[in-house]
Amino acid sequence: MTATIARAVAEGVLPGRVWFYANYHCNLVCAYCLTESGPKAARRELGRERMLKLAEEARTLGFTALGVTGGEPFLLPYLPELLVELAGILPIVCLSNGTMFTRDRLVRLQPLADLPAAIQLSLDRPEPDTNDAMRGPENFRKVVETIPRLVGQGVRVRIATTVTSMAAGEQERLCELHRRLGVADDDHVIRPIVHRGRAVDHGLGVDAGPADLPAELTITTDGAFWSPFGPTVHGGRLDTDLLLTRTTDPLSTPAGVLLRLVEGRPQGADTQLNIR
Amino acid sequence: MIQEGRAIGGVHLIKAEQAPLLARPYYASGDPGPIVAALAHVPELLEVAMPFLGAALGPSWISARAKELVILRTSARLACRFCVQTHTVAARDTGLALDEVRALRGELPLEDAFDDPHELALLDWVDTVALGPGPVPDSARAAVRVWFGDAELVELTLLVGATVLLNRFCTALDLPTSPQVLARLAQEGLA
Repeated sequence: MTATIARAVAEGVLPGRVWFYANYHCNLVCAYCLTESGPKAARRELGRERMLKLAEEARTLGFTALGVTGGEPFLLPYLPELLVELAGILPIVCLSNGTMFTRDRLVRLQPLADLPAAIQLSLDRPEPDTNDAMRGPENFRKVVETIPRLVGQGVRVRIATTVTSMAAGEQERLCELHRRLGVADDDHVIRPIVHRGRAVDHGLGVDAGPADLPAELTITTDGAFWSPFGPTVHGGRLDTDLLLTRTTDPLSTPAGVLLRLVEGRPQGADTQLNIR
Repeated sequence: MIQEGRAIGGVHLIKAEQAPLLARPYYASGDPGPIVAALAHVPELLEVAMPFLGAALGPSWISARAKELVILRTSARLACRFCVQTHTVAARDTGLALDEVRALRGELPLEDAFDDPHELALLDWVDTVALGPGPVPDSARAAVRVWFGDAELVELTLLVGATVLLNRFCTALDLPTSPQVLARLAQEGLA
């Protein structure tokens, strides 16, 4: 199995990144959140030791990168040190809403500057009022303050913009802003809202099935999924339509199922939709 | 029939739109029934359990009649409401007479409905194996061996075991009998 997965990754049949849903709770309640995360959401924490073990297994199997998402991962007190450990195993990107970067956390993240690591912050609009309408009060200010601090200490920052559409000139103003904050164009991704989770209640987003989503192995405390867009929650219930297996240990079990399904998958629209 | 949002002893039956990727083939022709809809929660078990159950309970070199005798009798002895109801209909469709079905369900003495010593020996074997626990007496093995060779004995015994597994699974999770089966039972006076 190890050789098979490694070959599939090397040949581009399987994406190289394995995602971990570190937790499901969050300090924000975003209108389009895939996982209905919020302060009252069940934590469903994957756990530090488990993520480290999974990362080692991912490397052994031939995967080439890791991703950490949530929830808001930085609500986990051990996250900065864990990211440093994970980045020592495989290159990593950690997704965050950008509101949790206290001085203490920034200091603890300093070692990431010398590691293959990036922190991807959500920033949807170039102005506070339109950005915060979807993401909550003060979100814009906190993110815009955090980005140059991370960049200034040498940590790579990526920006993810999640929108259904942008008004005339909005994208240009947003790109001017991220460049001014020290984030290059290559580290800015604009992607659509996916019609899952809380986005369903607000009538937002595009429908995306397995044919449209990159097959990035995603591990949660509830099992393994086809994509980080898979383990979504709606009405308090976990969606199972993109569930691969409940078994995540050994990692070769869901990896093998994912590869089997990928090899039988028809062409999809992931490139056109830019769901990354 | 999968019922919208129904919690069965804490277990929701997974509907087609939430079917996990490995489970989707089982939903391709419509409602896969509550056993699949429950097992779909654990797709990697579903994809090995269903072929096994299909091989054990489905068509094989053993006659369909013999298999239904085993399944319905076992289910009745284990008092599995779902399996008794479902396999009462299956037994009738296989050609079992009303009195034979009633006897298998324990509503008549077996001897009132069956006179073939080969089938009566099989039903004695089912009762012995299904009801356990503990060792199976040598006398029971000797009695059934008069009629069955090794291969038949292996398959029929595995069928009892697979049925017991399903009986306990369906009973513990209180799986719902389909409205079609309930209507048919009422129609035949077997409700």
